[in-house]
Amino acid sequence: MSADQLVQGLIGGLAIGCIYSLIALGITIIIRATEILHFAQGEIMMIGAMAGLSALWMVDLPFVLVLIVGMLGGGLAAVLIELSIYRTLRKLRVPLINVIIATLGVSIILQNVARLVWGSEPLRYPPLFRSRGVEIGGFAVSPQLIWIVVLGFAMMALLQLFFRYTRLGIAMQAAAQDPDAARLMGVSVKRTTTYTFVVAGVMAGAAGVLLGSLFFASFNMGFLIGIKAFVAATLGGLGSLSGAMLGGLAFGLIETFSGVLISTAYKDAVGMVVLIAILLLAPSGIFIRPGRRI
Amino acid sequence: MTALLRTKQLTCRFGGLIAVSNVDLSVEAGDVHGLIGPNGAGKTTFLNLVSGHIRQTSGTIHFNGQNLGSKSPHLRAAAGIRRTFQNLRLFREMTAIENVMVGLHANTRSDVFPSLLRTGAQRQEEKEIADRAREALDFVGLLPSANAIAGGLPYGHQRLLEIARALVAKPKLMLADEPAAGLNGAEARELVGLIQRIQASGVTVMLVEHHMEVVMRACNHITVLNYGRKLADGSPADIRDHSGVIEAYLGTKTVYARHCRRNPAEAQYAPH
Amino acid sequence: MQPAIRLLVLASLAVAPLIQTNTYWQHVFGVALIGAILALGLQLLVGMAGLLSLGQAAFYGIGAYISAALTMRFGVPFILAFLIAGVVTAITSLLLVPIVKLPSSSLAVATLGFNIIVYLILLNEDWATGGSFGLLDVPPPHIFGYELTTERDVYFLCLAVLVLVYLGLDRLVHSRFGRALRAISQDEDAARACGISIIRYKSKCFLVAAFTAGLAGSLYAHHARYLNPNDFTFNKSIEILIMVVVGGLGSLPGAVMGAIVIVLMPEFLRSSGELRLILFGFLVVVLMGVSRGGLAGLAPLLTQRMARLRSSASAKSAEPGEIKS
Ligand SMILES: Nc1ncnc2c1ncn2[C@@H]1O[C@H](COP(=O)(O)OP(=O)(O)OP(=O)(O)O)[C@@H](O)[C@H]1O
Ligand SMILES: [Mg+2]
Repeated sequence: MSADQLVQGLIGGLAIGCIYSLIALGITIIIRATEILHFAQGEIMMIGAMAGLSALWMVDLPFVLVLIVGMLGGGLAAVLIELSIYRTLRKLRVPLINVIIATLGVSIILQNVARLVWGSEPLRYPPLFRSRGVEIGGFAVSPQLIWIVVLGFAMMALLQLFFRYTRLGIAMQAAAQDPDAARLMGVSVKRTTTYTFVVAGVMAGAAGVLLGSLFFASFNMGFLIGIKAFVAATLGGLGSLSGAMLGGLAFGLIETFSGVLISTAYKDAVGMVVLIAILLLAPSGIFIRPGRRI
Repeated sequence: MTALLRTKQLTCRFGGLIAVSNVDLSVEAGDVHGLIGPNGAGKTTFLNLVSGHIRQTSGTIHFNGQNLGSKSPHLRAAAGIRRTFQNLRLFREMTAIENVMVGLHANTRSDVFPSLLRTGAQRQEEKEIADRAREALDFVGLLPSANAIAGGLPYGHQRLLEIARALVAKPKLMLADEPAAGLNGAEARELVGLIQRIQASGVTVMLVEHHMEVVMRACNHITVLNYGRKLADGSPADIRDHSGVIEAYLGTKTVYARHCRRNPAEAQYAPH
Repeated sequence: MQPAIRLLVLASLAVAPLIQTNTYWQHVFGVALIGAILALGLQLLVGMAGLLSLGQAAFYGIGAYISAALTMRFGVPFILAFLIAGVVTAITSLLLVPIVKLPSSSLAVATLGFNIIVYLILLNEDWATGGSFGLLDVPPPHIFGYELTTERDVYFLCLAVLVLVYLGLDRLVHSRFGRALRAISQDEDAARACGISIIRYKSKCFLVAAFTAGLAGSLYAHHARYLNPNDFTFNKSIEILIMVVVGGLGSLPGAVMGAIVIVLMPEFLRSSGELRLILFGFLVVVLMGVSRGGLAGLAPLLTQRMARLRSSASAKSAEPGEIKS
């Protein structure tokens, strides 16, 4: 592998890894708050991508504003679904597996609504950046990738700050860790759960715009990416924020480099083999939690 | 008499905490051997080590003359060590009799193919399993509830069902973890009778219990643990008079009373 | 009551292709039966042993390609190819032995990974699988000298296999093996204390489920007569899981009903055009809300309602009579 390939792979892998991380973070906070494996998270990302693109069609916006539109789109989709479907299911006290299957139903609904609205052809984002490469240490790197990495990391940093320093963020953390204790402290767990879906939706919406700008937007872009983000979250140990972040980045890098080094055809397979190996060595992901008592 | 179970320098650490510390203990065949001590003394951990659900940090366990080493729990069960759990661990969605039938798993053989083909031997075995399960239910007095869902049984019956599930396999050694927890006075007295009948049927019992009346009446031999260490060992009379035990464990009358009156809900949801 | 319902379902399955003579529908019915076989296998894993597997389509694909390759390349008779497909698929499930001990959500993701790996092999190893073009002209099933060429004949073959698989699994569920699986799903520590080897039984459960999926795959190969890797993606695995949960976790008749509903519903909704899949998704969500036990739980729910309605109706009609006497 040449030095150029190494740098390209690193930047490309980090960029796609950031996108996985953003979705995996959403998946993780939802699991922590509700134990739901949210299979529709990829579709929420797709809605974010579509929202950003639709805004661009109407007005010529700078990239950061497109990103914000995408985040709003993702957050809005998430809150609508949470209020209309998941909250109702929780109220009916159906078993967890029913809710999980319902998220698959939601994913089917979102895909096909998007197909009705935006058609079934992949839609290209208009070029948002100068196509000329940026020089970094003598290597030409696409400015788009750099933007994705910078914005992706900024989003994740903001999320950390949100959970650490805002009242709402702290309340959400508390409610996820110990709902009963949080209730005693006056936290409305019902509300923090809804906010959890909103925050997860916002992150996924951002990921959608970043991914759409890199390739294209289409009604079925979400499912596979959502599944891969799941794998990334598992890689980092389901339920840990930093685990989801690192897991996403690691998965992006593994995928990119195995595409370069091994074969493009089997790059997804390599990611899965690594995943299975890690699960075998550390069954609860990279971050180990204390064992259950008998 | 030879010792059925013998531990040497048995030790178990959880991080910095030493839950069981250099315990030498032997259980004679045919005895009801009590294991008592204050909360957190390491009694449950000791049973977990013997049943194989937790691995020891160091020390050895010999059962029936064999070193158990790092044998897995299912092999120990097959070798004749059965147990009940402190916080009821039934197969809650199965019926009472099905729970007991699972208890015979290690003593029966027919697997995928015989079950698919319904061979004569398989049907014969299923019949034996059902008969023996019914017998065990009858032994603990639960036969009338045979087809009730286990999770819906009254608390005391669930405790008895766990005992039946362990007994059905005619084990050499039964480890019982606080079978009297949450029982009322009458039920506890019945339990003493049951333990005596179990002993009479040839099963050696290791009984972890806070209920002093049950311990004193049912056990021939008692070991006291405190902070993971063996504090005393002897007949019920010896233990009753042992000054260290009284200090560490019985201490004041209030401690004794508290243990007797542990309420069922607390016992059920306590982590161990 | 229960056996009567089962006979009724069987009877209606037996007459379905005789009433509906349109070959397209007969083909779809066949696909539904194959789906039912797949769902039964997964029911053993998810509903009985509590093992959340998202890789069932991998075994389905392995069985399909093995059966097609054996008959097309080596001229192996269908019956033999069918059985070999089941057995070899079962053997490949031994690859999962190291991961069976993973906790539920990790196991789901790991089996999904397995599915993706198998899919990529089917897609990229052109020399064996025909790659993305797939395998064309898989021969129709031959049985004892008869060639089953019509959709109806193949349908009855599928029905026969479905009945056998159902009976087999029903026996397994009500045996020492089935009890051990249910025990594991409810409390692993207690199961071990009863002498059950967790890893061995979980592995055996995968083995049986993979065997049934292999059989289903073989049927599919000779029913569709064309194989493409895209039929065996994790989307298919998820579809099978939806069948099982929609039908009702832990119920074998539920798995059959779930599969039939999930395969036929999009066909029935075809008239609603573009809204078809939206409606389908919606129905899945609604069903998950109204019945905890899926379709299998819906039946007792409905009979309860009916009984309550009837008793309140008869109570009302009884009142005047009582006043008279
Ligand atoms: N799996 C575990 N991990 C960490 N610490 C443990 C574990 N199991 C037990 N402990 C600790 O080991 C010590 C002994 O616990 P154990 O359950 O054996 O006590 P016990 O004598 O059974 O008490 P009790 O009468 O309350 O049941 C306790 O301090 C407990 O917190
Ligand atoms: Mg204890």
